Amino acid sequence: MPELNFDKVLASLKLRLDEVVDESEFDEILKEYTGKDSLLSVERKNLSNLSNEDKKVYGETLNNVNKSIVTNIKKAKEEFINNKYASLEDEENDDITIDWITNTGTHRHILSQVMDEVVNIFASIGYKVAYGPEVETSWHNFDALNTPDWHPARYESDTLYTDNDLETLLRTQTSTVQIRHMEENDPPVYIVAPGRVFRSDQLDATHSPVFHQLEGLAVDKNLKFTDLKGTLEYFVKQFFGEDIETKFIPHFFPFTEPSAEVLVKWKNGEWLEILGCGMVDPNVLNHVGYSDEYQGFAWGVGIERLAMLKYQVDHIKNFYDNDLRFLEQF
Amino acid sequence: MKILKSWLNDWIDLEAISTDDISEALESLGFEIESRTDKTPNYKNITVGKVLEIYEHPNADKVRVTKVDVGSKTYEIVCGAWNFDVGAVVPVALPKSEIKDGFKIDKRDIRGVESNGMICSASELDLWDDHAGILKLSDETKLGSDFSKIYNSTDTLWEIGVTPNRGDCMSHLGIARELSNYFNLTLKENSQSLKSNIESVIKVNSGKIKACNSYQSIEIENFTLSDSNLNIRYRLSSIGVRVINNVVDYTNYVLHDIGQPLHAFDRDKLFGTISVRFAKDKENLKTLDEQERKLTSEDLIITDNDKPIALAGVMGGYDTEVTDTTTNLLIESAYFDKVSIMKTSRRLNLISDASIRFERGIDFNLQKQGLQRFVNLFENDQEINYSSIIDSSKNGISYDSISFDKNEIEQILGVKLDDNFIRNTLIKLQIESEVSDKKIKFESPSWRYDLERPIDLIEELAKHYGFNNFESTLPIGNNLNSTGDYWDKRIYLSDKLSSTNFYEIQTLSFTDSLSNELFTPEKKSVSVINPIDQTQENLRTNLLTSLINTYKFNLESNGKSHRYYEINNVYDDSKHKKFKMIPNQEYSLGLLIPENEAVEDRKGKTKTNNINTLANVIKNLFPSSELEHLTRPGFHKNYSYLIKLDNKILGFMGKLSYKIQSELELHDSLYIAQINTENFNFDQLKAFTYKPLSAYPFIKFDLSFSVSNDFQASDLINCIESILSDNENNISIFDNFTNEKTRNLGIRIVTRSYEKTYTETESTEILEMIVKEAESKFKIKLNKKDENAT
Repeated sequence: MPELNFDKVLASLKLRLDEVVDESEFDEILKEYTGKDSLLSVERKNLSNLSNEDKKVYGETLNNVNKSIVTNIKKAKEEFINNKYASLEDEENDDITIDWITNTGTHRHILSQVMDEVVNIFASIGYKVAYGPEVETSWHNFDALNTPDWHPARYESDTLYTDNDLETLLRTQTSTVQIRHMEENDPPVYIVAPGRVFRSDQLDATHSPVFHQLEGLAVDKNLKFTDLKGTLEYFVKQFFGEDIETKFIPHFFPFTEPSAEVLVKWKNGEWLEILGCGMVDPNVLNHVGYSDEYQGFAWGVGIERLAMLKYQVDHIKNFYDNDLRFLEQF
Repeated sequence: MKILKSWLNDWIDLEAISTDDISEALESLGFEIESRTDKTPNYKNITVGKVLEIYEHPNADKVRVTKVDVGSKTYEIVCGAWNFDVGAVVPVALPKSEIKDGFKIDKRDIRGVESNGMICSASELDLWDDHAGILKLSDETKLGSDFSKIYNSTDTLWEIGVTPNRGDCMSHLGIARELSNYFNLTLKENSQSLKSNIESVIKVNSGKIKACNSYQSIEIENFTLSDSNLNIRYRLSSIGVRVINNVVDYTNYVLHDIGQPLHAFDRDKLFGTISVRFAKDKENLKTLDEQERKLTSEDLIITDNDKPIALAGVMGGYDTEVTDTTTNLLIESAYFDKVSIMKTSRRLNLISDASIRFERGIDFNLQKQGLQRFVNLFENDQEINYSSIIDSSKNGISYDSISFDKNEIEQILGVKLDDNFIRNTLIKLQIESEVSDKKIKFESPSWRYDLERPIDLIEELAKHYGFNNFESTLPIGNNLNSTGDYWDKRIYLSDKLSSTNFYEIQTLSFTDSLSNELFTPEKKSVSVINPIDQTQENLRTNLLTSLINTYKFNLESNGKSHRYYEINNVYDDSKHKKFKMIPNQEYSLGLLIPENEAVEDRKGKTKTNNINTLANVIKNLFPSSELEHLTRPGFHKNYSYLIKLDNKILGFMGKLSYKIQSELELHDSLYIAQINTENFNFDQLKAFTYKPLSAYPFIKFDLSFSVSNDFQASDLINCIESILSDNENNISIFDNFTNEKTRNLGIRIVTRSYEKTYTETESTEILEMIVKEAESKFKIKLNKKDENAT
């Protein structure tokens, strides 16, 4: 039986594989050890000279050696490729935090975003957006909303007028849209009216001559105080989250009765007012000529207030300064 | 309004009820709690002493030395206050006691005299703010007694909001009445009847004036002007009323106790008959605050022998006020109409506790009780002589009874209220009523102005039922498909603009007249007749100034040049298109793009914009819009366009004129536009149709034409589009090079057939056809072609 030292062959293969510098060498090595001129091939040719029994034994040995060579090369090649990319990736190690702190804002003004959010909540339960003029008649802003002649809200110290007879003014509440909408549309009515309102205040941390409200109005057959509660509780949960607690406390508005204020329980345990609401006063429905079988509810919510609460903005002035440092945050 | 728990306790027994429960009750009844202060003694071991002797300090002028008897012992105490004499009974802090804020009192040497503690003022014991000096107690107080036991030292003060319809709740009695129902307690009776012992001197005739339904008075003789008792001073001071003397304190006390304003005149300064009338123009009255007031025919006044002596319900006259020398009084208790009081109070900017109550409406049956309470308080402190009450009332006010169907309650509230609940509530609120199977009949009490209609009573019942005890149901409205055009336009524009790096801004609607003139001189401004200040006199006729101001502000204070938009109204003095009586208002979009725009990456690169950048934004918003050159004020002569959509003017755009740019000291040019959002509808935006995608490879050419300066690239693009109209095309301008002599326009054509793969020959034929057609149609010349553009 021939006595080739296969251990030596495998050892030389190992050394050879360790010296590889380029991927293409693996094919050459395979050829070198298992190809036509390889030691292995020579030995295979010699098999025919052996006895049948020796042929079987030695042939199996040669096969095993071949398998071992192929496996070794394949393994080494895989390892070589893995190492190559691993070291390539190893070299790339940039500081991930460099662009981490960039602005994530949507570029939309936060007041518009809050208005959108509120509108969308009510749109999801069947309300559409109505709008009315910002320069209004005193009749729409006050009389039609049950506010008597002598009411202090009418004083020039509070309200901005645009004519000397005090017949036109900058609306002080979006409730005017209730009247405008009902004058032009028959019931049922389910609307929200976001928009600007005006007061005679200088712009400072807590006041603004311009601010935003969203008025809501539902008039239909059979709308009740319980419906008002359900609707506003739905809104509050959608806006502030399912876990928020709300309560309704009695209040007074000239154009709703019963009237209420809605409070939410803030994180620090404090109860904060977030909107005013009530059942539409029958006088208001009479003013617009709706028949007795209709009744409904209305509410008004301050957009700045919602934005200030939700995003902890502390100065109302921020909304109107349009400082990029503020705009970029939202 | 401030209320004290101990004071409420005079009217209903709240001893067993916790302060938290009372807070909850107040809020549930509609009294918003602005603040709550739980008071406990802020001192320790204070006793009561009597000043036996006072003598000079041997070494100091500003202090005196006193001998004070505290029952068991007498101490020498040095004192810096001068408002007391021998015999005064006072709170004493002996060694080992504490006054306000844990300050420990001990023996002390004061300029050579040993002082064994101190005599205390109200503020040193943290009772109330009082700078009048030592707190004087009643002479009958037992010496040596524990000071904290002689008045309500543990108490709660609430500051609550009372809604304007509830004038009847502007007193402790009013609040107690509401609470009596909530806690099911009985309201106490506090007035004792009077036994007069003198004849009245002054005649009273309230006249025929409707604005004064009731005028009642009582005269008091031989009283002593002094401090009122500790309890009254404590209560008044606690609720923020300044303590003055017994007469003033009692009138204030009655007002806060039951809600009836009173006024005290010095009877000896009154002559003839007292009556009530409206002032004559040019009549004058010097009021208590020593101001000479010019009156008008809208001011209700009180007169004696026809000379004004008080502004009814607002403020008394200076000449008839109670002073140190007054010995006889006339106390007025009247009912004045709210509108008249409101007008006077607002016109003169004089707001008093009395005027606030008259404005909201006081109980028209309370006048007699007011005088009784006053005399009761006075009698409690000293012996006085008084007349019977002179009543000059008209009894002109009465309320009709109102009856309504009980079903209405459920129809409005959505909950059926139990008959017993309704009956009990109305009884506790002292509203006379009959509750039968089907009907409720009620009559409003004299203090309730807010119960005129069935809905008013329903609200009352709902409130006492507790708003939070109602169920909640969610009705669904009838507009589930759309939020409406007005809002959808806003969202459409905002979505497109904010995704192309515009920042949305919200600016105030006001401006000065110059800013309006700058861009929209053809429009007349709407002005505010009572502006906040001169810079906010007009409503803006355009959005451009606000955009430029915002741009400039952020450039200067943040070093950032960005593009902005705003969607809001502009206003002008022409007639509103739809509504009568009001000026025109157009819901508009304003845009601003600076020439050099900051790009948001950390390398701080900038991007250069030109008029085409803006034109592209407009085209993106309104795909089928057209631009038509028209020079407008404030704009660059050439770069000024009308934006038209289906031949209707949508707005205008262009480049800010160099003159204004320089006046505003702006380094960069600005591209600005304004669009009236009411002048388009969504159908006009969806005008383009989908192009199917070809399955064949594209061919691509870059062509460069030499063109004249006034050549319009869109003409060339349209021409090529029509040549290749059977294909799927993407044609764009990639270069526009201009110098003094020449202009080169680079156009890139990418086209695919829907039917086949073009051969090289076909491709060349197409190219030649395009060049030939373009050159002959526009008299332009091909410079360069690249058939294999990449």
